[in-house]
Amino acid sequence: MNVKDFQPTLARIRSSSSWIWVLLVGFFTGFFLGNTQFASADEPSKEEGIAFYEKHIRPLFAKHCYSCHSAKAADLQGELRLDIPEGWNSEGANGPRVIPGAPEASSLIQAIQSTDANKKMPPSGSLSKEEIEKLVLWIRMGAPGPQDGLMHRIDDPSDPIAGKEHWAFQKLEPSAPSSIAREETEREWATSQLDRYILAELQEASLSPVADAKPLDFLRRLSFQLTGLPPSEDDVRDYLAAGLEPGEVSESKKEKLVDRLLASPQFGKRWGRHWLDLARYADSNGLDENFLFREAWRYRNWVIDAINEDMPFDRFVLEQIAGDLLPYDTIEQRDRQRIASGFLVIGPKVLLGNNAMNQKMEVADEQLDTIGKALWGQSLGCARCHDHKFDPIPTRDYYAMAGIFASTSVMEMRYMLGEQRLMERLVGLGEHGNVADDEYEQYWRSMPQRRKTAKEAEEALALLRRSQEEALALIAEKNEEALSPIAKDMTLPHADRVLAQESFVKDCKSAIAKPPSIPPRGMISQDIEAPADEAIRIAGQFDRMGAVVPRGVLQVLQEDKPWIIEEKRSGRVEFGRWLMDGESASSRLVARVLANRIWYQLFGNGLVRTVDNFGRTGEVASHPELLDYLAQRLIDSGWSTKSLVREIVMSKTFALSTEFQSDNHVRDPDNKKYWRMNRRRLEPEAYRDAMLEVAGLLDISSTGSTVSYLGDQATAVGENKVRRKTDIPFRSIYLPVIRNDLPEIFDAFDFANPHQATGSRPNTVVPNQALFAMNDPLMLATSKSMAERLFLVHPNDGIEEKTEHLFEWVFHQRPTAGERDAIQVFVEEFESSNKSESTNSEKKSQHDELEAWTLVCHALLASSRFQYLE
Amino acid sequence: MLKSSACGFGYLAMSGLLASSAEAGKGSLDALHFVPRAKRIIFLFMWGGPSHVDLFDPKPQLQAHDGKPIPQETGRPPRNGTLMKSPFRFAQHGQSGVWISELFPELSRHADRLCVIRSMHTEGSAHGEALLRLHTGQANLVRPSVGAWISYGLGRENEDLPAFVTISPPRGHGGVQNYGSAFLPAMHQGTAIGSAELPIAKAKIANLGNEKLEPRLQREQLDLIQRLNREHLNQVQYDRGIEGMISNYELAFRMQTSIPNLMDLQGETEETKSLYGIGSAPTDNFGRQCLLARKLAEQGVRYIQVSTDYTWDHHKELKSGIVTESAKVDRPIAGLLEDLERRGLLDETLVVWGAEFGRTPTAENKDGRNHHPQAFTMWLAGGGVRGGLTYGSTDDFGFAPTENPVHMHDLHATLLYGLGIDHTRLTYRHSGRDFRLTDVHGSIVQDIWS
Repeated sequence: MNVKDFQPTLARIRSSSSWIWVLLVGFFTGFFLGNTQFASADEPSKEEGIAFYEKHIRPLFAKHCYSCHSAKAADLQGELRLDIPEGWNSEGANGPRVIPGAPEASSLIQAIQSTDANKKMPPSGSLSKEEIEKLVLWIRMGAPGPQDGLMHRIDDPSDPIAGKEHWAFQKLEPSAPSSIAREETEREWATSQLDRYILAELQEASLSPVADAKPLDFLRRLSFQLTGLPPSEDDVRDYLAAGLEPGEVSESKKEKLVDRLLASPQFGKRWGRHWLDLARYADSNGLDENFLFREAWRYRNWVIDAINEDMPFDRFVLEQIAGDLLPYDTIEQRDRQRIASGFLVIGPKVLLGNNAMNQKMEVADEQLDTIGKALWGQSLGCARCHDHKFDPIPTRDYYAMAGIFASTSVMEMRYMLGEQRLMERLVGLGEHGNVADDEYEQYWRSMPQRRKTAKEAEEALALLRRSQEEALALIAEKNEEALSPIAKDMTLPHADRVLAQESFVKDCKSAIAKPPSIPPRGMISQDIEAPADEAIRIAGQFDRMGAVVPRGVLQVLQEDKPWIIEEKRSGRVEFGRWLMDGESASSRLVARVLANRIWYQLFGNGLVRTVDNFGRTGEVASHPELLDYLAQRLIDSGWSTKSLVREIVMSKTFALSTEFQSDNHVRDPDNKKYWRMNRRRLEPEAYRDAMLEVAGLLDISSTGSTVSYLGDQATAVGENKVRRKTDIPFRSIYLPVIRNDLPEIFDAFDFANPHQATGSRPNTVVPNQALFAMNDPLMLATSKSMAERLFLVHPNDGIEEKTEHLFEWVFHQRPTAGERDAIQVFVEEFESSNKSESTNSEKKSQHDELEAWTLVCHALLASSRFQYLE
Repeated sequence: MLKSSACGFGYLAMSGLLASSAEAGKGSLDALHFVPRAKRIIFLFMWGGPSHVDLFDPKPQLQAHDGKPIPQETGRPPRNGTLMKSPFRFAQHGQSGVWISELFPELSRHADRLCVIRSMHTEGSAHGEALLRLHTGQANLVRPSVGAWISYGLGRENEDLPAFVTISPPRGHGGVQNYGSAFLPAMHQGTAIGSAELPIAKAKIANLGNEKLEPRLQREQLDLIQRLNREHLNQVQYDRGIEGMISNYELAFRMQTSIPNLMDLQGETEETKSLYGIGSAPTDNFGRQCLLARKLAEQGVRYIQVSTDYTWDHHKELKSGIVTESAKVDRPIAGLLEDLERRGLLDETLVVWGAEFGRTPTAENKDGRNHHPQAFTMWLAGGGVRGGLTYGSTDDFGFAPTENPVHMHDLHATLLYGLGIDHTRLTYRHSGRDFRLTDVHGSIVQDIWS
């Protein structure tokens, strides 16, 4: 082939040090054949030897061996340490580990080369050829190591004590804004404490904030941000009456509007979705077997309700982690709390062929990963296999928490698709819910037997008709259930017996044909019978047990208070309460992460831009004092999300326009200092809801399940042809979230991947979005409905008037001259080109006009002005 | 380039935007890590798991022990059923003498082009888990697909086409996750043409074309959309999102023509079509899929997957099942190799054949075989591999690899190597750390390259 096309640059894998190069090339091929010693001329100096060790061998040991063979090993294996020379120079069960100069006699090399699965090292995976070559070379060199007494301190990022120094774990320091505005007018610019933090930073960077957004832009912004919907006609009229220019709308008017939107039930349908992203909410399992989560919607609706009632965030989280264990006054409260624990159940799981213990550890891992990311902005999953490479999370801490969740059960055996399977755990709701649930499951469990009985009852009937009593007796002997009592009784008249058996067969068949309806159930967790501490799993492998770790929490967040779990409990209640207890280290971290998430939703960027990563590899806050101030406000308000949202949207900073300003842009192109509001594309939910709303097709009421028509297999696979529907009139939060089969608009416009906690959705610009906007049936249906509405309300208006109406209606503003012209040209050309081809009846021309305006409406919905929020 | 064109878009500015989409097609790698053996990969996926001991890995001992329990000396628990011989004859083919069973007569004529790896192994004893591992390297976490990594690393060769196309992908067993981009940018997700259960002749790409509008009228409507967009952009002066949106509308409109043209097999000669078995049962469907794969390869698509329907899962009646399935794919695959060769594309196109796992040497349901991830066969052809090589081996019965085991991670590392990429250095920073296709695993199999 023609390699020129690629212009490759060959990687220089090996060290640039020339003697090493020579050695590598020279010794590679035959290193095991003879015990060649170094020629003295080639012998590396002591310094070179140590350099080789530091460059190649220490990282290799650290990567492959330290987790079991070093001071940091949770459970030192084979009494071998490879982090100190004394370790590799020691004697093992199979002879000396390392014999300097003689790699082939060193048991270390033998273990690495072993093909015996029980002896081979490392136990999982293997060293690359190059790595083995380097080890051999190193031993041949005499296994040089760090000089005695000069062992390098092993820098351990996972040390939880040293880790407390990381900024995100520190006490909140909402100290006053660092500099004071120079001019009186600038001081006046700020309308809240929050603004003063922003202003101080702007001045520090010589940036000046742009003007406020126009009232109607602001109204649109506020409405979309708080409810996910365009403003109502009343609100628009109200605002229009107040004025079109910034400053003309009074603060009290704004305040009233904000309070009304916060109190609207639509608030929870937007802000509930933000949490559902983090809770990796879905209506199906995803991964290998995409079974339907028929009852997940109850959890979704619980979230919406909780957000609407502004449930304090600490309680909100506690119910999701331990709702099934909390005290209750009424059955309704019990059920609500239980449904909240669905949070633990809705994660994706590898269902088929998974080893039970592996599955248990995977489920706990998935839950920990979600909790760690959503609440703390920490990636706990890394510590499953090894001490965290960047953050202060040792493996032991991971398993201390894993013990809590491994002592929790979220799955149970249920009959599904013809067999007993380990599925998500369901519990009947209501006072006698468990009875109804048992009966329902029992019906399906007995189905194979039921089918068998029906078949035998039919056979029995045939025999009875032919009066073959002996054969009949044989059936009765095998399966008593197969005959009705009357049919069994040989003393009764033959005709009666036949009649009885006939009706018996009919009953059997109808019981099979008409299964009972599914009782109300919820996806609910519970503690296992014998909650217990978990063992560390070496290298994360479920069947390689290390030391058992008492259940507990991250040491880096642990205060002096001892951590005690009530007898025979998993520890979820204790964990849930500890998370946001007063102003503890965990509280502070959760408050920072949550305040940052709220800021992120309202501005499109976090103060910490890596919203899911508050660890050492994440970014630091652009406005640290402001972040701490907001976090403190959250704690002080008793964890009221709505209060913080309110404070932010009432600020001057939130009210700025999106105006481009080139001087500012040059200094701060990414708007890290918030000199203007970010222009943002609508999320797919808001885009869809807004289209349906302007087309008059949206139903803003709440609804229940939108997946009830689906079979147990959530995706249309093989025999199953039923696929999730998206043509429902309800708000997008109610659309089915089938993992691996998302609604098309979600798929195209960067919806969260519902397999994992997502704090910031991707923001892509891909051709699929254009194809959707040009062609999707949703676009065609909404634009048709819009045009019909336009003709209904303004039947006799000309092109210009119609354009004006449409713009006010869709964008709440007047068209520019260019926009008006573009539409005029399009409509006129459409009509003239169509007229020339047809008999010019009036009906036809009306039809053409409607057609033309349908295309115009479609164009408006597809345009950037509709898809973006100023 | 875009940064300067903040105001006054005319058609000139539009051409600037088109250039920007070429820019967007650039891969993440500034330079390749190795001399590449191939430019692209075609992966022929036999969904369900073909039996290695009936196709490429003959086992005389299995014939000898037919119907008997597993011998004690294998150390395997005898409860795993009785051994079942292959009902098919094997022969050596080509100058190299590669063993192939009688089920693949057409493919056998290309024996000297095949590099048969008999020592594949993976995890996942159920299809779903094994499919996800085959396609993404992992099952319990959502990870980018092989094709997505390649798209991310190498970018698009043809600016009008995605770098990763999957023809008739499975809807089940992970579904879109098997060709998803996970945390990689969405543009690297595989573009799906149809789905496994649908004949390819009826396949469509979602929303590629408007059901109500003829192209001329849609172009007029698009002009209106673009005028509105440019008016908006003019007003706000500078916004990369809106600029990207404008160029995407043009790209999307072009795709509406270019992709259907590509999918249309009209322009192919009858001779070519018959090479693939198009027009005759039972090869028509897979033949069309393979021919489409060649057309995509010609157009510079980097990673093309062709999937069968879920038809290789022979738990019972293996003999008739595997006869039927082999007959569907044998000629199309041979035709693909031949056609690529004739067009000078085989040298630069790595063709990979295989599945999520193999099947047990023991019988299931008397005349079928169960799933077997512990050992199975895949083969490579073209793209710089050593043709006529049989690499690795399994034990006397085909239970486990003996020589040169190749784990799925190793295969992934090796495929990237074939394209000139070091699997340890094609990384993406996500959630605070660098991720790669092979996670912390994978060794390149060096010996299979010529």
